[in-house]
Amino acid sequence: MAADRFPSPFDVPTPAGAEGWESMYDWYHLFGPERRELDEQRFWFADRLHHPDVLHPYDEIQCECWWQALGAFNTRVFAMPPAFGVDQRIVNGRLYVTPVPAPPEDIAARAEEFGKRAGHYYERWDAIYDEWRGKVMAKLEEIRAIRFDPLPDLEPEETVYAHTGHSAGFRMIRDFDRLVLTMYETYQYHFELLNIGYAAYLTFFGMCRQAFPDISDQSISRMVGGLRVELYRPDDELKRLAKEAQRLGIADRIAGDEDAGTLFAALRDDPAGAEWIADWERTADPWFLINTDPGHPGGYHTYPTWADDPNIPLASVREYLRRLADGSSIDRPTEEVLAERDRITAGYRELLDEADRATFDDTVALARQVFVYIEEHVLYIEHWMWATFWAKSHELSRALAAMGEFDEPEDMFFLRRSEVAEAIYDCVAGWSVGSRPRGAEYWRPIIARRREIYTALRAWEPPPALGPPPTTIDEPFTVMLWGITTSTVSEWLRTDTEDGVLRGTAGSPGVVEGPVRVVTHPSQLTEVQPGDVLVCPATSPAWAPVFARVAATVSDVGGIMSHTAIVCREYGMPAVVGTGNAVATLRTGERVRVDGSSGVVTVLEPDAQRPGEHADRGAGPSGTA
Amino acid sequence: MSAPWVVGLDDPAAADAAVVGGKGAGLHRLVALGGRVPAGVVVSTAAFAAALGDGVDVEAPLRGLDPDTPLDVLEQAADRARATLLDAARSSPVLDAVREAYAARIGADTRVAVRSSAVGEDAAGASFAGEHDTYLELRGPDAVADAVARCWASLYTARAISYRQRATVGGGGAGAMAVVVQEMVDARAAGVFMTLNPANGDRSTVVCEAVWGLGEPLVSGEVTPDRFVIDKISGEVVRREIAVKPTRLTRTEDGPGTVVADVAPDDRERPCLGDAELAALLAVARRIERDAGVPQDGEFAVADPGGPDAVHLLQTRPETVWSARAPRSAAPAPGVGSALSAVLATLTRSSREDADHGG
Repeated sequence: MAADRFPSPFDVPTPAGAEGWESMYDWYHLFGPERRELDEQRFWFADRLHHPDVLHPYDEIQCECWWQALGAFNTRVFAMPPAFGVDQRIVNGRLYVTPVPAPPEDIAARAEEFGKRAGHYYERWDAIYDEWRGKVMAKLEEIRAIRFDPLPDLEPEETVYAHTGHSAGFRMIRDFDRLVLTMYETYQYHFELLNIGYAAYLTFFGMCRQAFPDISDQSISRMVGGLRVELYRPDDELKRLAKEAQRLGIADRIAGDEDAGTLFAALRDDPAGAEWIADWERTADPWFLINTDPGHPGGYHTYPTWADDPNIPLASVREYLRRLADGSSIDRPTEEVLAERDRITAGYRELLDEADRATFDDTVALARQVFVYIEEHVLYIEHWMWATFWAKSHELSRALAAMGEFDEPEDMFFLRRSEVAEAIYDCVAGWSVGSRPRGAEYWRPIIARRREIYTALRAWEPPPALGPPPTTIDEPFTVMLWGITTSTVSEWLRTDTEDGVLRGTAGSPGVVEGPVRVVTHPSQLTEVQPGDVLVCPATSPAWAPVFARVAATVSDVGGIMSHTAIVCREYGMPAVVGTGNAVATLRTGERVRVDGSSGVVTVLEPDAQRPGEHADRGAGPSGTA
Repeated sequence: MSAPWVVGLDDPAAADAAVVGGKGAGLHRLVALGGRVPAGVVVSTAAFAAALGDGVDVEAPLRGLDPDTPLDVLEQAADRARATLLDAARSSPVLDAVREAYAARIGADTRVAVRSSAVGEDAAGASFAGEHDTYLELRGPDAVADAVARCWASLYTARAISYRQRATVGGGGAGAMAVVVQEMVDARAAGVFMTLNPANGDRSTVVCEAVWGLGEPLVSGEVTPDRFVIDKISGEVVRREIAVKPTRLTRTEDGPGTVVADVAPDDRERPCLGDAELAALLAVARRIERDAGVPQDGEFAVADPGGPDAVHLLQTRPETVWSARAPRSAAPAPGVGSALSAVLATLTRSSREDADHGG
């Protein structure tokens, strides 16, 4: 049995206790009567890849960044032939998206423009990417230079003697604008290269599939990946620190299970330990600016970076020390991976019709070029830029709370960015005049109510999609990035799903059995036991420590190019990605079989307690479970 | 003819399909490539010619027949041709040479398979699959000699005659027949492989089908086998379709012949080949294909108790359907050259397809 459509976005009920949730988000981000005729005909799916949880009002900026920039570069800058942008709406605090196709009659003309415009980029890819790095690093320096402090009683003397000519209050207003605009500007660069990069990568994928219908996604990605990209550098730094600990003779002291604070304090007391800690601290900036969100790194303000929570990278170092003690190598086998890449590329090439080989060579070369960007931009933008943006936002929230604009720093994140600008103005005006802002008393009831709404929204299980499904889903980015295909959608529509069987995308081959470990927040990573099957909304590169320990990974979201799939292939561990609801369905302790070749997860021994309460579930972005 | 009557599979003379037939030459190639092939000899086409002797006109009853000849007339003519052939063969010294060679070069008590190996059979373009006889699990010189004679005679079954009339190999004449006499592997599992996927022409895969026991029920299409699709380059088993296999064909305990036996309940839904066996099969299939220069299919058996070293090759030949075509194209549209043109063709593909479908 299957329903033929998902609920209309206009029929989605508001969860009890969440009445008025619309006030938490920008009006243009909501379904409204003005666009009803258009929006009701569209197929919307929950973007759990980027936003697996309820959005805080302030964090809506994350969605806005890519909403506009992705759209502009597809639609207006490069004239991507078949695809306009990806439209967004927020329902009950969750982001739903729909790819907008270009009108069929425009595709030929767009293709001609795209050929010229994207062709210009493809021809000069490496040089343009060099330029790109310069632009983005400049933006990073710009927001790192911003500082938010409580406003001083008296301006520093410098304001006078250097003829600065403006006040700390003005600068707070200005710098919040700068912070936001810099992030928006960076997102322009993010999409300057991303989608034309994906287009080249997809083309190579499509060519391989056409010539070799049985080829696995893994084989295709192995022909392209394996390069020395900077995305691996943070993990490499942890390996280096593990070796340093051995060299300094302090491996045993680090290998214990003390928390990072206690351990680091103790290590500082002797020269070897102090040397290692100094190294750690030098390394932390920038290599530990790694966001730990499950899924899209930097998607929420609530997750710590490695630098914020050294226990996360420390767990990795300990794992590497264990492996070094076992006598195994922890070095990334880059040479072998590259040799294997060349071997399999030559192998498939040899099987092609001779007439196709030149195009194959040209396309694999382009795919490899763009793939460096596809991987590395995640480090520069999703990690470094967002980590810095959130850190600066926290700095601002502390300054505003210290000045009485909010009762506590976290309150700021329950305001939309336009409301934060208002709060800053209120606070600055009061400070400037030497009078009183309306401040916390004004915001208190609003924020208190929004906290209730937020909690009520988190209890709501969002449907995977809304509206009528298209007959086929072949929009390249939807398939590639979100892992959503025609069959995924019909699976969502099925009402007679087989008990104890979850289906997703085959992310990394192999079959293993093991106990489930549901992880929704990085704070739970320390509970993961060797041999566990990691079940999560999505993984993040920041979760590196667990990949050395788990037997398989199952994620709610992601396609074959998701982080989970890439990393599992690298670790040679089975993965099923894009299951839609593994986190909601599976329970820690249940035994499952994960078949990463067919994309099927089977429950072997249901948890005895099921369906009782489970203390390990429900941790979310607030990390306070 | 100057060729010997009985030729070892490893003998250079066994490279000549005119002497040892298509199957014999294929086995020789496997041996030369270092493949694991059960011990065996070929009773050559020269032996066939000598067995008939001069002046025996086996084909006389067939002259004047054409593809429209009624079946019963064809059957009667075929019976007369076979009787002539068997009479001549049984009184010739050739079968004594076969008995001697079997005893001396394979073993007087060894179980063997006797398979026809016609000239022109197993060539690219005409498989002759199943058109000539095969005898399994024979033991003893007389049984072997008798089976060799029957193989010769199988050139003149009605179905072989009509197949030849359609395929018109060698101008429609029966040509010459060699016969392979080969030790039988005590097969734990057996099957066939093809160095491309016959379902879609994918040349990056080796497709293997196998059953418990001897492979004949699979080859003749009587049972549903397990099916494995293996990537040639990565070595990964990209698909496994495991069939329910309630029975297997196996050798009888002590006599010649075969018997259908039940498969142990635990084994019925278990894959009959393990990963190591599949890997061994992949390696040898690739070697054969490279050597031949065209896609191949072949038969294999895994000797009890299994494992990569137990995989034996029973025959190989050029694949006949997809080999005749060019490999599948990788180009997203005709005339695509550069990467940019490939990107454009990919991005506009669905709109082109809509237009093609009159949308």
